[in-house]
Amino acid sequence: MNIPIKWLEDFVDISDIDIRRFTDGMTASGTKVEGVHEIGVELENIVVGKITSARPHPNSDKLRVFDVDIGEGSELTIVAGAANVMAGDFVPVAKNGARIGGGRQISTGEIRGVPSQGMMCSIEELGYSRQDYPEAPENGIYVFQEEQALGADVVQLLKLRANVVEFEITSNRTDCFSVMGIAREAAATFERKFKEPCPNPREEGDGNTSDQISVEIHNPKGCPRYVARVVTDVAIGPSPLWMRNRLTMAGLRPINNIVDITNYVNLEMGQPLHAFDISCVDERRIIVRNAAEDEKFVTLDGERRTLDSSMIMIADPNKSLAIAGVMGGENSKVGEGVQTVLFESACFDGPTIRATGAKLGLRTEASSKFEKGLDPNLALLAIERAVELVEELGCGKALKGVVDVYPAERAATTVSYNAERISALINVKFTHEQIEAYLARLGISARDGVASVPTFRQDITMEADIAEEVARLYGYDKIPTQRSTGASSGLTAGKKTHKQLSEDALREILVSCGFFEALCFSFESPRVFDNLRISEDDSLRNVIRVRNPLGEEYSIMRTQTINAILQSLSLNYNRRNASAWLFEMGRTYAPRQDGEGLAAEAEMLTLGMYGGGSDFFMAKGVAEELIARVVDTKVEGSIAPFVEAEACADIPFLHTGRAAKLVVGPGRIEVGFVGEIHPEVAENYEINERVYVAALNLTELFVMPRPTKKYRQLPKFPGISRDIAFVVPDDVTSAQMRRVIVTAAGENLESAELFDVYTGEQVGKGLVSVAFRLNFRAPERTMVDKEVDEAMAVVMNELGSNFGAKQR
Amino acid sequence: MTDKLAELKLQCAERISNLKSLKELEQLRLDMLGKKGELTQLLKSLGNASPEERPALGQLVNSARESIEKMLEEARSAIIKQERNERLAAERIDVTMPGKLPALGAKHPMTTVLDNLKAIFIGMGYEIAEGPEIETPYYNFDALNIPATHPARSEQDTFYFEGGDSLRTSTSPMQIRIMEQGKLPIRAICPGRVYRRDEVDATHAPVFHQLEGIVVDQGVTMGDLKGTLELFARELFGGNTRVRFRPHYFPFTEPSAEMDASCFACGGEGCRVCKYEGFIEILGCGMIHPRVLQMSGIDPTVYTGFAFGMGLERITMQRFGVSDLRLLYENDVRFLKQF
Repeated sequence: MNIPIKWLEDFVDISDIDIRRFTDGMTASGTKVEGVHEIGVELENIVVGKITSARPHPNSDKLRVFDVDIGEGSELTIVAGAANVMAGDFVPVAKNGARIGGGRQISTGEIRGVPSQGMMCSIEELGYSRQDYPEAPENGIYVFQEEQALGADVVQLLKLRANVVEFEITSNRTDCFSVMGIAREAAATFERKFKEPCPNPREEGDGNTSDQISVEIHNPKGCPRYVARVVTDVAIGPSPLWMRNRLTMAGLRPINNIVDITNYVNLEMGQPLHAFDISCVDERRIIVRNAAEDEKFVTLDGERRTLDSSMIMIADPNKSLAIAGVMGGENSKVGEGVQTVLFESACFDGPTIRATGAKLGLRTEASSKFEKGLDPNLALLAIERAVELVEELGCGKALKGVVDVYPAERAATTVSYNAERISALINVKFTHEQIEAYLARLGISARDGVASVPTFRQDITMEADIAEEVARLYGYDKIPTQRSTGASSGLTAGKKTHKQLSEDALREILVSCGFFEALCFSFESPRVFDNLRISEDDSLRNVIRVRNPLGEEYSIMRTQTINAILQSLSLNYNRRNASAWLFEMGRTYAPRQDGEGLAAEAEMLTLGMYGGGSDFFMAKGVAEELIARVVDTKVEGSIAPFVEAEACADIPFLHTGRAAKLVVGPGRIEVGFVGEIHPEVAENYEINERVYVAALNLTELFVMPRPTKKYRQLPKFPGISRDIAFVVPDDVTSAQMRRVIVTAAGENLESAELFDVYTGEQVGKGLVSVAFRLNFRAPERTMVDKEVDEAMAVVMNELGSNFGAKQR
Repeated sequence: MTDKLAELKLQCAERISNLKSLKELEQLRLDMLGKKGELTQLLKSLGNASPEERPALGQLVNSARESIEKMLEEARSAIIKQERNERLAAERIDVTMPGKLPALGAKHPMTTVLDNLKAIFIGMGYEIAEGPEIETPYYNFDALNIPATHPARSEQDTFYFEGGDSLRTSTSPMQIRIMEQGKLPIRAICPGRVYRRDEVDATHAPVFHQLEGIVVDQGVTMGDLKGTLELFARELFGGNTRVRFRPHYFPFTEPSAEMDASCFACGGEGCRVCKYEGFIEILGCGMIHPRVLQMSGIDPTVYTGFAFGMGLERITMQRFGVSDLRLLYENDVRFLKQF
């Protein structure tokens, strides 16, 4: 909200407070200043001059030639029309190089053959009007009323620099969306008197308002008050410069005097007004009623709108005239030829107006005020101010009296409070007297713990609200700080949960492995399923759809995390980054199975990589290590791997021959997958390289038994290592071979590691040469070669009978 | 005999001076002291001497042997030293060539900032709580004292699903979920994703992150709120940071405030970063509204509390000087490598 300081000064005297102190003070008391815009900042080099002589211009009847002393020794010669000045007058002089209102630069020149070394200025040429400087002549050069020091700065002398202050108003302070409301805050902040407005229309018109108009309210909940006034002899024209200036400074475009007056009063008091051409009101009867279902209505912007019965209309007995609180109708618009105007100052139910605006997609200056819920007691004051201005501007005559329908008058409310509790909450000891004094500054009378809250402060309903008023006027910054543990004995331990600690640990591993953490959106486009080759009947397509998305691109909650990581990799690839190794921790969102309760959100960890020497086994190795870091992988009495990869060809976005499900523990619980991205999918994401991904369901992993760290005695006795190399058909997997080896080698096998795989002509077609290293160790003795030789023979024998393996 | 020994020593010394390797030294040793070495031959020839002369001659030969052995030992040390020096000289490398590092990755800058915040609050005794991103209207709005007609609830601002649930618009619903557990006192922070219907631009995204804080106990005052958050700001932005509390409005706190911190770029003098205000808005906070406490089953006449909430993107961007929020979600490794 932009407010010129001078407008504020109509309601509170703050002229002695410099702008910095003003803005700091207002911000500290809760009306935050967003910025100060200086008006008149362009004015420069305008000084006081005294006219020493005036003589006719040799070549013009209308112009004269003046000698002006500006205290710089030699006098200036200035050519001007300037009919209102004479020798001896003190006037503002724009010197050579000066800038006047609008930024226009003045320079020495010649006017009809006579040199002119500057310009004498009218108040308008200084950017102001007679409304601001009533002593200024109607048409002509401004003349100082008293002697002034020659050469003195006119900008300072006449206070030509104006400040427009931009305030941020919080939504609870409906009253502060107005000059008057902010003036009240300024008065409270700086302990000044708030000058209550008392508009006093002269009522120059013939007859009574009530003879011209009647008002009925059919929906008093929707419209608690309706005040009407009638103005006759309307003369539409431009409003005066001062009003146009103020409207412009506040950010509104001046239109004509009647419209400008309604806008002016709205800005000044926060009460939207509406003007009707009364000749359009049949039977001179205003009826406030709900719209008919599917009623069609043309608003004054020319749009034909479809209404429903929840909307409130201003109507006459035969037709609708306006959508209450939102916009008037084309049919009752105040046009050029209007003679009699009906002013409406009403109060409408905020939520109803908000809903109407939302349904119609129409938000106006008026509706944005009404939807906050206005004080019905403002309506009368505002309409009186409006007709006072009408008469002041000479653009009409008000009839006597008002028509005011106000079925249930709203009165001040009482709020009780406890001074001790308020003191305790704020951490400052306040007496009743102090609290009463703070409240008095806000126009709230209070006594012995009971406050009488005026209707313009609808936001104050309970003790906590009173506490805030007291605290902010006392000054938040003055409240002594402390950091206690509270009064109860309970200490709290600052800590992370298992999940949070595990996530930290996983991040550390990934960072040490060379991965960068990515951050991705949680919603995406339904088209991603096609990009990922996910079939029409796949359960991943069972998504939660955003009802009001920002576009199709963000319209479904993601059920997988591969799209997001591929998009990120794609961006890197397209920006020609040679490699990108990324990981992301984020959720997937699935509809609740039973349809009850909240969506099922699962924490996922996703890896994606291309380039930099990445391959399937690197992705797999990292994924396995991550699992081992958060799940207890020790199985008593077994050296079978806890995490296993099961080849699978049914993950649609993965390479059918390079994809595996990761299963955990004897129960073979699936916790994720690893694989190379299907070439068609890589193409869809415009990545012309092999891409490897892995995804782990952390929600699943975090509920599994946690790893325990316990010292195991280092071996006391030496072990024996043996290598075994053999040829097997190439469809036997290393996991199958390992399983056979582990079973055959007996209880003293400590470990069995695959260390070489070879295919080639020497091995033969369809065959593969494989080498394992087996480590044997007995816990309580030194093993002898003979027993290991025997174990190795069993191993080879079993490999032979199971897979037809032949030793090399 | 004496002459022979002297000559032998002289001969040995001469050969030592020409030695080039340990191998040659070994040959010399064999030539002198080996089974067929010259000194050994001399010793053997002592058998021909008279028994009277033998002890004296034996002593002479032994003494010569000792001195030859000593010469050889010294020669060995010298050769080893020389060979080592040669090796060191030969192995000189250009130490100004670049160092090697296994390729490391990096946490996202948002995670770095969040870790920082978590550490500060854990140090003050706060737990870390997490909760659902898809919320019911009760937790997202009603229990936070946000009435059904409040504009924040409109379809303009909030993402809705069929059935009325929505993506949470702040981390504040977690306040309610924590309070409902009924375990007092409460000191917790709740970081997480939140969603608002803002189009993507340099300072907005429909998905962003907040960190919520909540404290409920007997006798918690605005002084505690200020003290806690002041300490937090100094931990985050440095010990000279000044903070400013301004009255503000939130439906779920009363009194409410916004906290600004003195601009880290100019220290409060006013600069482009702080738009010449000297202060930067950091968070919203306030004393938990009595109605909110009550709705969550906590007696507001016995317990009071404060809550605060801040946007993590903003803090991250300020901390690292990132000017465009979209960079945080692009995942360009050239960006991520910088943190």
